Amino acid sequence: MTAETSLAKRSAPGMGRRRRLTIAGFGFSLPWIIGFLVFMAGPIVVSLYYSFTEFNLFQPPQWVGLKNYVSLFSDDRFLHSMFNTAYLAIIGVPLGLALALLVALALNFPVRGQPLYRAIVYLPAIVPVVTATYLWRWVFNAQYGYLNQLLSHVGLPQPDWLEEPFWTKPAVIIIMLWGIGGTTVIYLAALQQVPQQLLEAAAVDGANTWQRFWNVTWPTLTPVTLFQLILGIIGALQIFAPTYLLTQSRLSPANGGPGDSLLTYAMYLFQNAFIFLKMGQAAAMAWILFVVIGGLTALILWSSRRWVHYGAE
Amino acid sequence: MALSSTIQKVSQHSDSRGTDVVRKGPRRRYLGRRIGHHIILILICLAFLVPFAVMITTAFKTPQDVFRVPPRLLPEHWVLSNFVEAVRAMPFLRYLANTVLLVVLNVAGTMISCPLVAYGLAKLPWRGRNVIFGTILATMMLPAQVTFIPLYLMWNKVGAEGTFWPLIVPAFFGTPFYIFLLRQFFMGVPDSLREAGLIDGASELRVYWRIVLPQAKPALATVGIFQFVATWTDFLLPLIYLNSQDKYTLSIGLYSFFGSHGVAWGPLMAACLIFTIPAVVIFMIAQRYFVQGIAVTGLK
Amino acid sequence: MSGPVLSRRRFVGLSIASAASAGVLAGCSSGSGGKSGGKTTIKFSYLWTGEEAKALQKVVEKFNRSQKDIVVQGVSNPDTQAQLASMTGSKGAFDISDNFGNATGDWASKGIIKSLDDYIKQDKYDLSDFAPAAMETVRYQNSVYQLPIAVNNSALLYNKSLFDQAGINDPPKTTSEWASAIAKTTKSNSSGISQLGLCGTSSAGIDYQTMGVCFGGKWYTNGKPSPTDPGNIAGAQFYVDNVLKKYGVKHINRFASGFGDYQSPQNPFYQGKLAMVIDGEWQPAFIKNFAPKLEWGVVSVPYPDGHPELANTNLVSPGTFFIPSNSQHPDEAWVFLKYLVSTEAMREFTLALSNLPSRTSLLKDKAYGDIPNFDVFLNLLASKNATSMGSNPDYTQYTADLTTAADQITRLAKTPAQAYAAVATKAQSYDS
Repeated sequence: MTAETSLAKRSAPGMGRRRRLTIAGFGFSLPWIIGFLVFMAGPIVVSLYYSFTEFNLFQPPQWVGLKNYVSLFSDDRFLHSMFNTAYLAIIGVPLGLALALLVALALNFPVRGQPLYRAIVYLPAIVPVVTATYLWRWVFNAQYGYLNQLLSHVGLPQPDWLEEPFWTKPAVIIIMLWGIGGTTVIYLAALQQVPQQLLEAAAVDGANTWQRFWNVTWPTLTPVTLFQLILGIIGALQIFAPTYLLTQSRLSPANGGPGDSLLTYAMYLFQNAFIFLKMGQAAAMAWILFVVIGGLTALILWSSRRWVHYGAE
Repeated sequence: MALSSTIQKVSQHSDSRGTDVVRKGPRRRYLGRRIGHHIILILICLAFLVPFAVMITTAFKTPQDVFRVPPRLLPEHWVLSNFVEAVRAMPFLRYLANTVLLVVLNVAGTMISCPLVAYGLAKLPWRGRNVIFGTILATMMLPAQVTFIPLYLMWNKVGAEGTFWPLIVPAFFGTPFYIFLLRQFFMGVPDSLREAGLIDGASELRVYWRIVLPQAKPALATVGIFQFVATWTDFLLPLIYLNSQDKYTLSIGLYSFFGSHGVAWGPLMAACLIFTIPAVVIFMIAQRYFVQGIAVTGLK
Repeated sequence: MSGPVLSRRRFVGLSIASAASAGVLAGCSSGSGGKSGGKTTIKFSYLWTGEEAKALQKVVEKFNRSQKDIVVQGVSNPDTQAQLASMTGSKGAFDISDNFGNATGDWASKGIIKSLDDYIKQDKYDLSDFAPAAMETVRYQNSVYQLPIAVNNSALLYNKSLFDQAGINDPPKTTSEWASAIAKTTKSNSSGISQLGLCGTSSAGIDYQTMGVCFGGKWYTNGKPSPTDPGNIAGAQFYVDNVLKKYGVKHINRFASGFGDYQSPQNPFYQGKLAMVIDGEWQPAFIKNFAPKLEWGVVSVPYPDGHPELANTNLVSPGTFFIPSNSQHPDEAWVFLKYLVSTEAMREFTLALSNLPSRTSLLKDKAYGDIPNFDVFLNLLASKNATSMGSNPDYTQYTADLTTAADQITRLAKTPAQAYAAVATKAQSYDS
């Protein structure tokens, strides 16, 4: 602390330094600011405008006020898509984070062949999502799929994964878990920042593995966990590709899977925008989602004060 | 020079970071543990490898073998014809060149812009940084489909439709995801580094470039890998903005295996394998960087 | 400094070099064609991929060689989103593309595609050769907006060996004969099904729209959706009663999940798992290719007892070509379009795709004679009971809701009457 105050005294008087900092900060952020103004600001405002109109992309939009927003809440496909998406997010995100952390810890074991193990875990992220989904269709096949064959060996019941409305979302969650390579990699990088001396000191003091983890490793990981949690929620609430690829076909482009069980929010949005050409409804859906995500993120950030430790020394 | 002494302090500091050197302790005590570690890792990897097993074995099967019902994992006869077919089915080298071009530019753009923005948000105590950060966060919450059409029309007006520009330029202006990630990492870097650098008379930019950025090697490597994979596998953006075959990328090329009544599985899987290998190689190389933390040798 | 810092510098250098070359590359490309040396270049973007794309490219090359004024650049782009996006701009990314006829009403009513009436009048282009059912789908408010190239319809395929085993001498003509044939050729017990008389080839569901029209139903009446037409309900009810309820949805789902890939020798119909299927005109070529030893036949879908006037009903769906409103070279695109649907090009392309030609003059062409049983489909197209789903602007929404209804019917979650009633309620709020 004394270093800081002496620093403040030694450098230019408060105001000048403040201004220099603001200019510097602004300068560092300049690339993003320009990008935002050019690529995002316009489209965002326009899309907000669209949400209050009926717009089919080709003819001039017609103002309808709040009609889009109101009619969505009496559309049972809309409500169903909200349920589906919430299901996937509430179950998939925490599970994915926990699993990623466990796997990252395992991948941190000092063993030979570590790079290979790490590559294998990250591999799913590199497979194009189109191919991966088709592969999973085979794995989930009710009669001959490898998953059900495994289950039958162990004596567990083998559901019709992709045919029964009840089981389709769990199947998607399994696919989501398969893709945690990215999250694991981030945790791996974060684990490198865990202060080794503290761990050793704790071990010397007689702390067991769990205590060492909880008191030394976990606090270091909390900023990254916060990041992953927020992004995980944002991503899960917009999930599109796996469910889309499991259900779409040329003949029924507006498919939602058995009993519409795979119709996620983003899929229904996409259908409204590009298949039914109801851009206005799609825009309204987007803004509703934005508010929901914003609220959830604010909630998570507010709660983060309780459990996140930043490591600035 | 004052700056090099700062760097010396940093490198001393960095020794305390987690390293992943394989310990050479008394063999017997650690052998059981090592075997246990291996077993756990192997089990985990098996779970991840299942779809790959399907992909790899399918790439070597004849068409009749692929559709054998009940499906068997291993091919009856191992054939290499699918790989030949895969490379022949599309202008492979052309697509590869296009993909490499896009990947290099996107990774470069990301590595230049994202750490810069992230640093300003993480380390510089300036007014307005919360506003900027909040806005960045907010842009991640808006589904892409909604800004997609106005953005497309914009590029269309400028006449960039059908060129590579819409696929390259945005990367140089930062991506919210990576900015967020790097910000978190920068916040974990001690403030004292920056203070010391400033005392020594360096400008903010110099401090960033010379002192703090090298500290974030793990995060930078992570971002690089992610962007590489994202561009390498992206098919939606190229499909929308490119409209001539000579500009297509490899991931679009995969589509040529999807006919309207069925899929040419063997060649598709072979193509996917070829497609995946460079990404795997890059990953295995790059992961060394964030594994070894800050190797002292890297700084001098 | 060495190591990562150096690689960063290298990145920067590399990126500048690459950006320069990208600029050169970009500069070399043209947007959507232009004039070069007296020739006009136009872009033809199509949704077909793989083998079909190759066949189409051959046609494109032939055209380019056949005349000196227009150069067509074909590009395969299977993404319908990209296709739609391209038509929103002021400068179209392509000049001519393909779709299905049923999209005509939707797109024409929004001004997305160009009316071809002026060109037709100017060239005195003869439309009479095109099959009436196909032309039905490309008209909107009496103007022609697309031209059909390859037509799909469907009929009832049956496995002769399985029929012989079950003691059935003739394929069914009426629905009661059909019901009895299904019962005779199904082998099922409490633990599952080993052979099914009638089913879809990739799932438990079936084409309810075809069933509806074959039972005398109409999906549109007076230009408005009519899902609750008694024929539609009867068609779905037939399948529910004779297959789904009788043998159990769970068993059928299990059975269906074991089906091999559709376009392979493991297609369940080729393997004798299904005695009958309703399938399309590409099957004769497929069977010749994948299951040449299969003993099979094909007839039109049976008609309800006492209604012989409904015989040979089939649902027709054509693939079509159109010129987007924002095309930059519509006149040249029209010249190419005429070539695409000309007799020679159509013959070549439809043979490659194993689709039916939309020109009635080609229906008797010898070129199609090599394919066994293809003539049944050709004759069905020529029948007066060939009908289509039309091309109303609400087509997309209607079929989306019909798909939901089909899913509910197949899972026995709703009866056909209930499911279609729900669609009728939704149909009241379609915008047309």
